Amino acid sequence: MKYVQALLVLVFCSFLADSSALAVPGPTEQLKPTLKVLIDILLDPAIKGDEHRVERRAKIMGHVSQRFDFREMSQRVIGREWKNLSPEKQDYFQVLFTKLLENAYIGKFESYSGQEIQYMGERIKDDRAIVSTQIENNGQLIPVDYIMIKKEVQWMVYDINIEGVSLVRNYMEQFKSILRRDKFDGLVKLLEEKNRTFE
Amino acid sequence: MISKKVFMSFLFLAFMLAPVLDAQADEAEGTVALPRDYGNEDLDTFFETDDIYDPLESMNRVFFQVNDKLYFWILKPVNTAYTAAVPIDFRECFGNFFDNVAAPVRVVNNLLQGKFADAGIDFSRFMINSTAGVLGLGDPALRSFGLEPKPEDFGQTLGVWGLGEGPYLYLPVFGPLTLRDTVGFAGDSLAHPATYVLSKPLEGAAYYSADKVNLLSLNPDLYEDMKRYSLDPYISMRQVYLDYRRNKMLDRAVKNEMINQL
Repeated sequence: MKYVQALLVLVFCSFLADSSALAVPGPTEQLKPTLKVLIDILLDPAIKGDEHRVERRAKIMGHVSQRFDFREMSQRVIGREWKNLSPEKQDYFQVLFTKLLENAYIGKFESYSGQEIQYMGERIKDDRAIVSTQIENNGQLIPVDYIMIKKEVQWMVYDINIEGVSLVRNYMEQFKSILRRDKFDGLVKLLEEKNRTFE
Repeated sequence: MISKKVFMSFLFLAFMLAPVLDAQADEAEGTVALPRDYGNEDLDTFFETDDIYDPLESMNRVFFQVNDKLYFWILKPVNTAYTAAVPIDFRECFGNFFDNVAAPVRVVNNLLQGKFADAGIDFSRFMINSTAGVLGLGDPALRSFGLEPKPEDFGQTLGVWGLGEGPYLYLPVFGPLTLRDTVGFAGDSLAHPATYVLSKPLEGAAYYSADKVNLLSLNPDLYEDMKRYSLDPYISMRQVYLDYRRNKMLDRAVKNEMINQL
């Protein structure tokens, strides 16, 4: 009797485990609400315009950081060097690189005027996924892929690929030659200077 | 009368951004029903490949600086004047026109790559847009018939035939290219109607410049954004060009095949 009871519990538990695994939303399902929120913020008339820039950026970055993994991106753009850096240097680099992406891409994103994002499909392999989207700009359809990695139950974006052009790989190639020439400290200096140009 | 000298310098500049701007021209390229793939690399090894062949980097970097100056001193002012003078609707129509005239290049390259159905689609597009689209100013083939262009060029054809990319080149005026694409560019002029209709080299060059200035006017921020967001614009441009060209080489069928393998 005890044996049967234990077996039942076991079966029940395995069901639980199974169903909870099934309940985790896929990469597209997780990405969609984040992009939706971003668009809502960008279109919100209450925080439109230059005078609300700081407030708007803070709001956007708050949401972006929940779905975009800037740690993962930082690690990838630095490459092999990463593990030789002290945790403090790693953290500081992440701050600088995140700021650069914010300046460059959120800034560009601010000219967004309500074009619809079409979801074209997703592909999952183990803990990686590609979510393919399309956005229309000046009558041109631009394919944008979000490359994601699964951390626990969260699907996190670690690269954006526009018409085959990878954002992370572009920075990685740039940083590779800077690291070779000027080492990590030189790269940090260049990043600091670059970020100042956006102020 | 525009003097020959002024004309030539204008032409040179228009050539300069051609390959980068081409990146924006084939807008329908990415419309695939299934998700796209990165390439023949696995997701995990994607960032570990080191496949950039740039033996002439120091020379290329000099020309990068030269073109940068040409852009800000001449091409940008020309584009600003053009954009101010010609309304956006007209510029979009002109863009359609230039695209339509170049249709034979796409048809020929589709044929050379054995893509007969795609060649047929581009041929139909050419016929529809030249008539119903009023000399190609509109694009009813896409809007009314849903026929998307199938952009192929001779650089891609050579790649399909197995020719390697060759070294990366950054040429004065022309901008980023690989050796293969340089040959392809020359080859494509043989299939372009302008080569035959405009018999004088200067006329052909004028046509080409107009095409490229018009294209720039539709994507004015491209070059300057790239510069603003990068720490090393030369490398950023090189990566954009190579990524973009390599992605174009992957056809739908190949992409779908790779999706099945995953």
